[in-house]
Amino acid sequence: MPSIAAFMTDKHKACDTEFARAEDYALSADWDKAGPAFETFHHDMAQHFRMEEDQLFPTLLAAGGPGGPVQIMLMEHEQMNDLLGQMKTALDGHDAQRYGGLSETLLIVMQQHNLKEEQILYPIADRILASESAAVLGRMQQV
Amino acid sequence: MNIASLSPDQAPPISIPLRFFAVAPLFLIVAALILLAGDAAPFADAHSPALLAATHCITLGFMATVMMGATQQILPVVVGSPVPASRLVAWFTLLPLAAGTLLLTAGFLRSDARLLGLAWPLLATAFAVFIAAALVSLWRARTHNLTWIAILLALLALAGAVTLGTLLDRGYAAGMALDYARLSAMHIGLALGGWVLLLIVGVSYQVVPMFQITPGYPKWLGDLLAPSLFAALLLNLASLSLGEAPLRNAVAESVFWLLAISFAVTTLWLQHHRRRKISDATLSFFRLGMFALMFAAACSFAALALPAAAAPLRMLSIIAFIGGFAMSLIQGMLYKIVPFLVWFHLFRGGSNALRAGIPNMKEVIAERLIWWHLRLHVFTLLAALPAPWWDVAVWPLALGLLLQGMLLAYAMYAGIAVFRRTLARIANLASDSVTNDRPGPP
Repeated sequence: MPSIAAFMTDKHKACDTEFARAEDYALSADWDKAGPAFETFHHDMAQHFRMEEDQLFPTLLAAGGPGGPVQIMLMEHEQMNDLLGQMKTALDGHDAQRYGGLSETLLIVMQQHNLKEEQILYPIADRILASESAAVLGRMQQV
Repeated sequence: MNIASLSPDQAPPISIPLRFFAVAPLFLIVAALILLAGDAAPFADAHSPALLAATHCITLGFMATVMMGATQQILPVVVGSPVPASRLVAWFTLLPLAAGTLLLTAGFLRSDARLLGLAWPLLATAFAVFIAAALVSLWRARTHNLTWIAILLALLALAGAVTLGTLLDRGYAAGMALDYARLSAMHIGLALGGWVLLLIVGVSYQVVPMFQITPGYPKWLGDLLAPSLFAALLLNLASLSLGEAPLRNAVAESVFWLLAISFAVTTLWLQHHRRRKISDATLSFFRLGMFALMFAAACSFAALALPAAAAPLRMLSIIAFIGGFAMSLIQGMLYKIVPFLVWFHLFRGGSNALRAGIPNMKEVIAERLIWWHLRLHVFTLLAALPAPWWDVAVWPLALGLLLQGMLLAYAMYAGIAVFRRTLARIANLASDSVTNDRPGPP
C-alpha cells in the first residue's frame, strides 16, 4: 500500500499532464480536442478536491491534525475552482487568449498548492493517520 | 518548509516587492544614458569611469534591487519563514541602495572622492540590513532544503562581495594604495559567481519545475551544486590571494566554470523534457540566459587559452554573464512574478473581488509586450558581442539598454496601475453593497 503522500503526489502529476494537454489544444485553437481534454482535467481536479475535502481533511482534523493549514488548502481549492470555472467559459467561447491567461494563473496557484501539500500536509497526514492510512486510502479511491 | 508557511499572511504586502521592481528599471535607463553620453570608447579599458559607472548602475541599481525585493517575497514561500519587520527592512534597503548607487555612479563619472566617500556607507547599510534580515529568516526556517542552502551561501558570498566593494570604494575615495586589480577580481567573483549565480541556482530548483512542469533537478546534483560552486569560489579566492600562479589560478577558475556549465546544461535538459509545451516568453528568457552562461564560460576558457587576447575575452565573459545570463533570468522572472502577485493580492479581496472581476496574469502585463522585450534584449546582446573590440558597438548596445529600461518600467507601472484600478473597483462594489444593505426610508 503506498503512503498517502505518494498516492496523492501521483494524482497531482496526472492532473499536471492533463492540464498541459488541455492548454496545448486550447492555445492552438484545436477546440474539438481541447473540450474533451479540459473535461478530463476538470473532472480529475474535482475528484481530487473531493478526496481531500470529503475524506482526507475531515479524518485528519478528527485525529487532531492542524486546522489552520487545512483551512488554507480549502481556500486555495476555492481559488482554483473559480479559475477553472472561468476557463470553462473561455473554452465554450473559443477564446484562446483568455484561456491562456487563466491557465497561466491556475498553473502557479496549482503548483504552489501541490508543493505545500506534498512537502507539508501529506507527510503530516501519513504520520498522524499511520494506523488508519490504508483505510483512508481505500475510502479516497472510492470517491 | 513548516506548517506556518501554509499561511497566506506570511506573504509581505504587495507594496514591498513592487517598490523595488518599480525603481530598478530606471537604473537601466541611467546606465544607458551614461554609455551614450560618456566616453566614446567605454569598453577600451575595464576600469574606464563610464564603464564602471554604467556597470554598477546595472549590477547594484537594477540587479541587486530586483533580487533584494524578490528575495523578501520568496523567502516565506521557499523556506517557509518570512523576513522580519518587512516594511522597515524594505525602506532601509531600498533607499540607501538607490542613493548609494547614484552617488557611486556620479563619483566614478566625475572621479570625485567626496561622492565616492559618501556612497560606501549607504551601500554598506543597505546590504547589511538586507543580509541580516535574510539570515534571520533562514535561521528561523525549520526545514533546510536545497534552496535554503543555496540562498545561505549566496548571502555569505554577498557579504564578502560587499566587504571588498566597500574596501575598494574607500580606497578610491581616500587614494589608498591597494592591489586594485586583485581585489576587483575577487569582488567580481563573489558578487557575480557567488551572490548572483547561487541565488539563481537556489530559485531555479523551485521555479523551473513549477513554471513548465519539468522533472525536478536530479537529487545528487541539487545536493552538490551550490556547495561545490561555493567551494570553487573559495578556491579561486585562495588562489588569487596567494599571488601570481597562472596554472593554479586557471585550474581553480576552470572548476568554477565547469560547475556553472553543468547547471546550465541540466536546466536546459529539464526544460527540453517539460510537459507544458506551449511557447512562453519567460521560458525563452530562461533558455537564453542558460546559453549565455555557457558562452560566458567559453569566453573565460578562451581567455585562459589565449593570454594575448585575454583582456577583451574576459570583458566579453562578464558582459555575457551580466547581460546575457543574469539580466535574462531576472527580467523573465519579473514578467511572471509581478502579474502573479497582482492577481494573488487582488483575489484576497474576497467575494467583492470576484464580483468586480480580477484580471488574469496575461491581463496584468500584455504578453505581446513581453515578447517585444525579449526581441529587444536579443538585439542588445548581439550588439554587445563586438563591443570589447569595436567602439561603435556601444551605440546600438546603449540604445537597446535604454529601450529595455523604458519598456520594463512601462510594464511595471502598467501592472501597478491594473492593481490600483481593480482595487478601486472592488472598494466601490464593497461600499455599494453596504449602501444597499442599509434599511431604506420608511
